[in-house]
Amino acid sequence: MLRFSPRKIVLFFMTRVIKSINKDANTPKWLKKRLEQSGYKSINAIVDIANFVMLETGQPLHTYDLKKINEKIIVRRANDKEAIDILDGSRKLLDSDFLVIADSKKALGIAGIMGSLDSGISDDTENIVLESAYFNYETIMGRARSLSLHSEASMRFERGVDPMIQEYAIQRFTSLINEIAGGSNGPIHSSISKKELPKNKFITLRKDKIKQILGITIPNQTIKSILNRLDMEIKEKDFGYIGWSVKAPSYRFDINEECDLIEEISRVYGFDQIPENVEQQNMMLMNKSSRQLKRERIDSIFHQLGYNEVVNYSFVSPSMNSLSDSKADMIDLQNPISIEMSVMRNSLWPGLLNNLSHNIKRQHKDIKIFEVGKHFSSRKRRPIETNVIAGLIYGNRRLESWAYSKVAVDFYDLKGHLEDLFSVFNLKNVKFEPVSHPMLCPGVAAEIKLKNKKIGIIGMLNPELSRDMKIEQDPFLFELDYDCLELPALTSFTSSEYYPSSRRDLSFVLPNKNRISNVTEEIQGLDIKELKDIVVFDLFDKENGENTQKSISIGLIFQAKSRTLKDTEIDGFMSKVIKMLETNFQITIR
Amino acid sequence: MGDNLSDLSNSAIQEINECSSSNDLESIRVKYLGKKGTVTAALKSLSEIDPRDRPAHGKRINEIKTLIQEKLSERKASIQKQEINQNIENKMIDVSLPGRVNFQGHRHPVTKTLLEIEEIFYGAGFVVEDGPEIEDEYHNFTALNIPHNHPARAMHDTFYFNSEYLLRTHTSPIQIRSMEKDGVPIRVIAPGKVYRRDSDITHTPMFHQIEGLVIDKGINFSHLKGILHQFINTFFEENTDVRFRPSYFPFTEPSAEVDILSKDNKWLEILGCGMVHPKVLENLGINTEIYSGYAFGMGVERLAMLKYGIKDIRSFYENDLNFLNQF
Repeated sequence: MLRFSPRKIVLFFMTRVIKSINKDANTPKWLKKRLEQSGYKSINAIVDIANFVMLETGQPLHTYDLKKINEKIIVRRANDKEAIDILDGSRKLLDSDFLVIADSKKALGIAGIMGSLDSGISDDTENIVLESAYFNYETIMGRARSLSLHSEASMRFERGVDPMIQEYAIQRFTSLINEIAGGSNGPIHSSISKKELPKNKFITLRKDKIKQILGITIPNQTIKSILNRLDMEIKEKDFGYIGWSVKAPSYRFDINEECDLIEEISRVYGFDQIPENVEQQNMMLMNKSSRQLKRERIDSIFHQLGYNEVVNYSFVSPSMNSLSDSKADMIDLQNPISIEMSVMRNSLWPGLLNNLSHNIKRQHKDIKIFEVGKHFSSRKRRPIETNVIAGLIYGNRRLESWAYSKVAVDFYDLKGHLEDLFSVFNLKNVKFEPVSHPMLCPGVAAEIKLKNKKIGIIGMLNPELSRDMKIEQDPFLFELDYDCLELPALTSFTSSEYYPSSRRDLSFVLPNKNRISNVTEEIQGLDIKELKDIVVFDLFDKENGENTQKSISIGLIFQAKSRTLKDTEIDGFMSKVIKMLETNFQITIR
Repeated sequence: MGDNLSDLSNSAIQEINECSSSNDLESIRVKYLGKKGTVTAALKSLSEIDPRDRPAHGKRINEIKTLIQEKLSERKASIQKQEINQNIENKMIDVSLPGRVNFQGHRHPVTKTLLEIEEIFYGAGFVVEDGPEIEDEYHNFTALNIPHNHPARAMHDTFYFNSEYLLRTHTSPIQIRSMEKDGVPIRVIAPGKVYRRDSDITHTPMFHQIEGLVIDKGINFSHLKGILHQFINTFFEENTDVRFRPSYFPFTEPSAEVDILSKDNKWLEILGCGMVHPKVLENLGINTEIYSGYAFGMGVERLAMLKYGIKDIRSFYENDLNFLNQF
């Protein structure tokens, strides 16, 4: 009957034929009621009794219609791509990882999971084969889920079933069916695989260990009484001085180790009986963690600038992701919830844009949001996670008020916010260089660089995307490496005497091909120690025939550390600056 | 001569009285008391007078000079007062108009709650640790006593990338990584995003967890009870009744779920915990005869929902400004 004994599989298979069952017998009221109370619907006497015995004993039973079985019942491995139509009406394709119950021609059911549609009993079944089997949980575990199935039998088998209860379950079924619907009982057939059924062993339970884990001393008598009530067999060790040897009953196949026993004792003794205690620790005074301080600093800057924090899902739709950075490999989920959440975001922008349209639809006009989180990419099939901070501004620069005229936000608002951030984190010489990016408007996009390393990107949303999203004004976005922001180390104060500073303004016309940053960088490159700061305070484009030129005014602030500068010295610096500008940039002084 | 002086004095006083601006007053001072002023001239011309009359005459001129000076300064004070009053009147505004306000942004309630919890545990000596969100099977399951095909894996409904990588279903792998890195004793808090394939009014496919782990000599269940009750009282800012209910987790034994008693007298589940399972420790090569420890984990959204009365977990991820502005 049993043609199967692979190494890992343990099974015990028991059947009984019962003939001449009264097919018109009804399930008695008491049994119907108890099934309903357990959430089961009454179907017919045979099925109801099988379910009832399963609930009583934890042993799944299966009934076949005797006339639908050819010759014999065997348990075998499923063939590759073997198809079976099961009780729930679906067809499943199996492979050799599954066991099937079969007759000489076909599979009658997937072992421990569900029977086949055509071998099951029907309302006119009079002769049945009753199956009561034991499968070790390794044989069933995960199999139902891999078929997207969930059955009462598989749920029990994969968590484990008492290996000694199969015969009792058959007897219990038989006596109930005989009582309710008569029938004549055949003998019980049983087979067991070569491997023996699992048996519980004696486990050492030490009093010390109970104390170590629970922190309390429970009297010996109480422990023994708890174990007794749980049907455990107890042998004293050293008259209970060290502890005991304990064996659990067969239905407690989950008790394998000392810690399992300690759990039982604590559970029955009562968690509420265990006092609350405070650990003894070396006292430590701690400042806030740098992780928290950093986050607080970032948040406080953005909150003051009017940004609300958002948190978005880490997965996005592939179409939005592909826009955000075409170079990075996409990481897609094998089993996403929906296509809209099927790839890991490689930028925080798709989420921010989503939040923007959501809030515009709810009549918000001025929106500033930021998010701190991870974006994902992969290199050589290994995932890479990068901590970033990203933000978006949209609408007017300031709250609507009698006190200001309405001005829409622009690139320099957003850039200024980042510069505020950089100054708090003491990041100097951060450079903004023109860049092209599929999501950004050409000419209004920059890469943010620190020591020649790209740390972020900033720009105006590409107007084509704004049009697609049906938004009226231009949003500006940035994304920045979170880890490039480090809390500045403590700097010690250097006292210095004050000497007055002098400012000289310089207005000139600059051929348009040059960027302002080139001019300021070259002035700084002259290495005039006394040059403290440069401000650009006026700027306009000037039409000059075919070429546009920039007309610029800058202020140069000079200050020495240990003396007051003389006018003649400053004149010297200025002529050095002007000479350089004339040579390198062909400027015209105005 | 006397009559001339009287006239001088009278006309000066009259001019001073009629004057209404500081500038005009200054001109009057110059006209009478300046270097070339009439009073100054009168004093200079004393030498032309009969020496016998000089003292009386001089005295008289000085009296007039003093009088004019007094009148000038009196008038000056009153003009200045008038001018300031005028100035004040011009400055009058409508103080009821709104000021130039800057909008202040808000922390997302998840971040707010997360940082709050971190801070509470940080105060009790826990170190905050991060870890990858894309995890491997070993750290997410196997190391935590959840072998392949274990039913607990089904409970977690995992998002997979391939046979190797998955989205972590809890922040426990961070704790495994911390123990691999630093060994024991250990006292860590692991906050972060976690992912489960679930979406309805009480579940979002991404949510946040904070898990804690303490392993040291002499750590037992009573310490777990102690710290969690303290945490709950601190977090909810009032003394709260709690209940530890037996439960099952593959990585702890004994395991418990913790309920708090709500205002309407219902027990609400808020976190899971237990004593770390010896198999987890043995996997990491930790001697369970010397060391023991506890672990706990909680859903940040769930705690925020209880604390702020938020009904639908999905509202955390809509990022509606009307919602966010309330935190």
